[in-house]
Amino acid sequence: MNYDNSLWLVFILIGLATTLPRAGFIVLGNRVALPPVLQRALRYAPAAALAAIVTPDVLVIGGAVEVFNPKLAAAGAAVAAAALSRNPWLPFIAGMGVLLGVRYMLGG
Amino acid sequence: MSSTRPLFTASFRAGASEGFVTFLPLSVGLVPWALVMGMAMTSAGFTPLQAMGMNLIVFAGTAQLGTLPLIAGEAPLWLIVATALALNLRFVIFSAAITPGFRGVGTLLRWLAGHLLTDGVFATCLDKMLHTDDPRWRLGYYLAPAVWSWALWQTFALVGIYAAGFIPKQWSLEFMATIALIVLLVPMARVRPMLVAALVGGASATLLRNMPLRLGVVVAICAGIAAGFAAEHWEHKARNA
Repeated sequence: MNYDNSLWLVFILIGLATTLPRAGFIVLGNRVALPPVLQRALRYAPAAALAAIVTPDVLVIGGAVEVFNPKLAAAGAAVAAAALSRNPWLPFIAGMGVLLGVRYMLGG
Repeated sequence: MSSTRPLFTASFRAGASEGFVTFLPLSVGLVPWALVMGMAMTSAGFTPLQAMGMNLIVFAGTAQLGTLPLIAGEAPLWLIVATALALNLRFVIFSAAITPGFRGVGTLLRWLAGHLLTDGVFATCLDKMLHTDDPRWRLGYYLAPAVWSWALWQTFALVGIYAAGFIPKQWSLEFMATIALIVLLVPMARVRPMLVAALVGGASATLLRNMPLRLGVVVAICAGIAAGFAAEHWEHKARNA
């Protein structure tokens, strides 16, 4: 890893980027308020960020978009399990099962 | 600050036990998460010390899971921090919403409460926090679930870190981190504008994946936010028409 020597600095910065948004308003109290328009726009940040991380990871194989690949099939199974069931373990079982099963069938 | 007064008063304990009982069944869902978190950090190449260090310093499943591939993929530092911020932005809103519930609570305890704020604790505590007068009772009702979440998270992440070592590499356990992100995303995408934000964010990140410094991820997040916001406006207009 590129961050072998500075990994702890990376952790501290991610920690600040995590605790400051959570503690900010609670510590400052009611002295400051976010503009309502910004509040409404920011609600979409987590969904956009999660999708921006997950989608290329399951669609791009070796630099090219690959629609038929074990990862995408596994992601589909995980989405279905998460959408249809409240069991917190099921998406992991379904996703990993499909990933390893499809790979096995393809002879990998 | 009112730190001279004892913290664990009878009303604090009463609030704490009620908060704990309310939250306990929900907290079971944290266990697979924490296990996956521990395994994902080990799969990313962290030593147990580094993995527990991250878990203690960051304490945020989404931000940890979301930044892991970027750290492992040697993305630039600013992008790692920007991604963590984007994944934590919802807590700016949660924090602003729950703040009135901390009236009468000292600064140090407010920092602690902020650090321990999670989706589940927010959802469990908001209503009671806003509609209870006694600050000690409110604080107990918040801190009991919050500290319990923290303890569960740290314990099962540690189990996951050591469990990962016994599992062969070809099982691709690091994919469990991707599944965990999907599990977070799916309930969000049940609301139409959120789905639009996710689809546009995901498609943009895929199309822009060759931009230098992985800038495509940031552009994709901004595009997703804009698309979600636009979809909300459009839906609103259509309903009022």
